[in-house]
Amino acid sequence: MKKMAGALVLTFVLVFTAACSSSSSGSQESDSGEWKPDKPIEIVAPAGPGGGWDTTARMAAKVFEEEGIIQQDIGVINKPGGGGALGWSYIHSKKSPNSLFVSSPPLLLVPLNGQSQYTYEDFTPIANMIADYGAFAVRKDAKWDNLNELFDDMKKDPSSITVIGASSPGSMDHIQFVKVAKKAGVDIKKIKYVSDQDGGALTALLNGSADVYTTGVAETLEQAKAGKIKVLGVTSEERLDGDVVSTFPTAKEQGIDATFVNWRGFFGPPNMDEAALSYYEKKFKELSDSEAWAEIREKYGWKEMYMDHDEYMEFLSKEKDELQKLIDELSLGK
Amino acid sequence: MEALEGLLTGFQIAFSFHGILFVLIGVVVGTLIGMIPGLGPITAIAVMIPVIYGMDPTLALLMMAGVYYGAAYGGAASSILLNAPGVSEAVATTFDGYPMAQQGKAGKALAIAAISSFVGGTVGVILLTFFAPTLAKVAVSFGPPEYFMLMLMGLTAISSLSEGSTIRALISATVGFMFATIGIDAQTGTPRFTFDSPHLTEGIDFLVVALGLFALAEVCSLILNRKERLTDQKNIGSLHLTKKELHEMKGPMGRQSILGFLIGVLPGAGGTIASFLGYLTEKRIAKNSDEFGKGSVKGVAAPETANNGSSTGAFVPLLSLGIPGSGTTAVMLGALIVLGIQPGPMLYQQHPDVFWGVIASMYIGNIFLLILNLPLIPYISKILKIPRPLLISLVIVFCIIGVYGISFNTFDLYLLLGFGVLGYLMRLVSFPAAPFILAFILGGMMEQSLRQSLTISNGSLMIFATRPVALTILILSILSLLFPYFQNRWQKRNRIRQGL
Repeated sequence: MKKMAGALVLTFVLVFTAACSSSSSGSQESDSGEWKPDKPIEIVAPAGPGGGWDTTARMAAKVFEEEGIIQQDIGVINKPGGGGALGWSYIHSKKSPNSLFVSSPPLLLVPLNGQSQYTYEDFTPIANMIADYGAFAVRKDAKWDNLNELFDDMKKDPSSITVIGASSPGSMDHIQFVKVAKKAGVDIKKIKYVSDQDGGALTALLNGSADVYTTGVAETLEQAKAGKIKVLGVTSEERLDGDVVSTFPTAKEQGIDATFVNWRGFFGPPNMDEAALSYYEKKFKELSDSEAWAEIREKYGWKEMYMDHDEYMEFLSKEKDELQKLIDELSLGK
Repeated sequence: MEALEGLLTGFQIAFSFHGILFVLIGVVVGTLIGMIPGLGPITAIAVMIPVIYGMDPTLALLMMAGVYYGAAYGGAASSILLNAPGVSEAVATTFDGYPMAQQGKAGKALAIAAISSFVGGTVGVILLTFFAPTLAKVAVSFGPPEYFMLMLMGLTAISSLSEGSTIRALISATVGFMFATIGIDAQTGTPRFTFDSPHLTEGIDFLVVALGLFALAEVCSLILNRKERLTDQKNIGSLHLTKKELHEMKGPMGRQSILGFLIGVLPGAGGTIASFLGYLTEKRIAKNSDEFGKGSVKGVAAPETANNGSSTGAFVPLLSLGIPGSGTTAVMLGALIVLGIQPGPMLYQQHPDVFWGVIASMYIGNIFLLILNLPLIPYISKILKIPRPLLISLVIVFCIIGVYGISFNTFDLYLLLGFGVLGYLMRLVSFPAAPFILAFILGGMMEQSLRQSLTISNGSLMIFATRPVALTILILSILSLLFPYFQNRWQKRNRIRQGL
C-alpha cells in the first residue's frame, strides 16, 4: 500500500506541477521601461512528447535557461490533440504574454484542411528559428535514378506507383511531394498516396509495398548511408551541407522549380504587446546566435533560418497562398 | 561465436559501476510509471532527453531501455488488483488476473506476472543476442497486407472472449470497431464522427475506453451490489506457487516468450497484439480452456510473457535497422541522435559498444526487475485490504488522474464517465467488454492496413493471396478458428471409443 500511495502522490505532484505551470500570469514593466516577464514562461508544444515540436521547445527552453538568456523559469507543456488545434485554441484563450508556442507548416495546413478555426493570423509570429527539408526516396534497386524519370513514369501510368508518407493527405508529407510533382507536370489528383501513421512507412518502402517514400531529410540519412535507399530529390533551394546529405540532388537542379521548407518557429498569443514582442524577438535572436543552439542544430540536422516578426509575417502569408492553391486543387479543403 | 564475443564486451560496460547504476534507475522508473496509468514510457523518455544531453550514449540508452521494458513489468499490478489496465499491453492480463485477485489469490497472480515477465524478457534478450541481424530481415518483410492479416488473426480471439454467447461478443466487437473509426481518417484526411470538435479529431485514446469499460464499470457494480460484496474475503493469499502451478506455467511461458518476441520484432505491431495473441493461442490449445477467464494461471502467464518478450523484440528493428517499431522506440531513436549516435543499419559496425552494451544491460535489468518486483508484491497487494468504500474512491481517483494525464483535458474525463456507464450497462445485459476493447485497439490499424493494401493493389483483393506471408497468416487464422471444433470431435470420438 505504501508503495502504491507513493506512486499516487508522485502522480499528483506531476499533475499539479503541470496544472500550476499553466496558470495564467501577468507581467510588468521594469524601471528602465523595458518589458520583462515577471512570472515563469510556458512554451506549449501542441503535440505529445517526443515529436519535432516538443523537441524544439524543450531544447530552446534548455538553452534559454542554461545560457542565462532569459532569467525566468521556462516550462514546456504538451497540449496534444486535433493535430495542434487544441494547443492553439488553448493559447488563443489565454492571451498571456508569458505563454508561447512552437509551430511549423501544420499551423497553415491544418486550418486550410478545415480542421482548426485558428491560423497563424490569429497569433503573433515572434521569430522563426530553423528549417528542415523534405526528401523523396526510392529503393536502391528501383528503376528511377532521378526525379524526372520518376515523374515521367507517373505521368504515363499514375496507378502503378505508390507514394507513402507518415501523415494523412493534405498534411506535410503529402503536400511537399504534390508541390514538386505539380511543377514537374504530374496530374496531382491521380497520385496514389498512402498514409502510414503507425511507423511502417520506411518498412513498406524497403519491402516493396510502396515505391516512393516522402519524408524529412534526416529520416533518409542512415538508410542512404547504408545503401538501402537512394534519395532522388530534396526540397531545399540549394544542396545541403554535410556528409552524404551533400550528395542528395535538389529538385531545382533537376529542372523542377519547386521547394518546400519545413520551417519551425515560435509564436505568441493574439495581439501581443509591442514591448513584449520586441523583448522576445531579441531573446530568440540571441538564442539563434548562441553556440549552444548551433550545436543542437547540428546534432538534429536542422538548418538555421532566423526571421524576425516582420520577415516572418511576410513569409507566412506567401506560404499560405501557395499551399491554399494546392489544397484547393486537390479539393481537400472545406 | 561473434555474438558471444560481442556480449562479453557488452557485459564489461553493463557491469561497470555506472552501467549498473543507470540500469537500476531505468528499471525503477520504468516499473513506477508502468503502474501509473497515463504516464507511459514515451512521456518518461521524452522528458529525460534534456537531462541525458551530453551523457555517454551507451549509458543513456541502457537507462532508456530500462524504462521501456521496466514499464512492461509494472503494468500488471493495476490490471490484477483493480481491473484497471494502465496501458493497452496490460488489458489481456485483466481477463484472468482480476478474477484471481477476487478469489483471494492476488499475491499469486502478481508473482505469476513477475515470473512470466522475467522469462519473457530474458528469453527475448537471448534471442536478441543471437538472432538480431537475421530477424531484421523478418522485420522488413511485413507490408500493409501482412499487417492486415495479423490483425485479422488477432480478431479471431473474439470467439475466445465471448463468455458464452458468440452473437453478443460479435455485437460488442462491432461497436468497438465503430468507436475506432472516430477521428481524422488517415487515408483521406476526412474527419469522421468528430462533430466538428477538435477534441475528437485524433480519435479516442485507448486508456479512456479501457479504464471506463473495465475499472469504472467494476466500480459501478461494486457500489450497486455492495450488500453482497461487502462480505468478500480480502485475502491476498500466499505468494508461493505450488509445483502444479509452476508446471502449468511452463508451456505458456516457453511458447509465448518466442511468439511475443517475434511479434515485437514487427514494427508497429507491438505488445498489445502480442499479449492478446498470447492469451488466445494458450486458450485455444489448453485442455482446460474453460478455466480461462475465471482466474487461470495460464491466462495470466501467457499475456505477461508475450508482452515482455515483445518489448525486447522491438529492439531488433531499432538496433539493427534504425527503424523504430513503436512510439517509445521512436522517441529513443530521437534521443540517440541527440547523443551523437545515428541508429541505422550501420550501428552494429560503427558502435558495437552501444549495440552490445544495451543488449548485455537487458540481462541485468531483467534480473533487477524480478528482484525488485517479487518482494514488493505483499506491499502492493495490501491495497486490497483497504476498506471497500475507500478502495472504490481510490480506483475512481486513479482512473481520473490516468485519463487527465494523457492530454490535460477535461473533455476526456466526460468520455471516461460515458464509457464507465456504457461498461456497466453492458454488464447488466451480459455483453462482454473484452471483444469491444480488442476490436477498438485492433480496429484502427486493421482498417488502415486494409485500405493501404487495396490502394497499392488498385482495388484487387488478390494482394492478400499472392503474397506468401499474408496467405500463410490467413491460413493459420482459419485453422485456429477450426481447431476447437475438431478438438471437440476428437474428444467425443475418443470418449465413444472408451465408452465402448
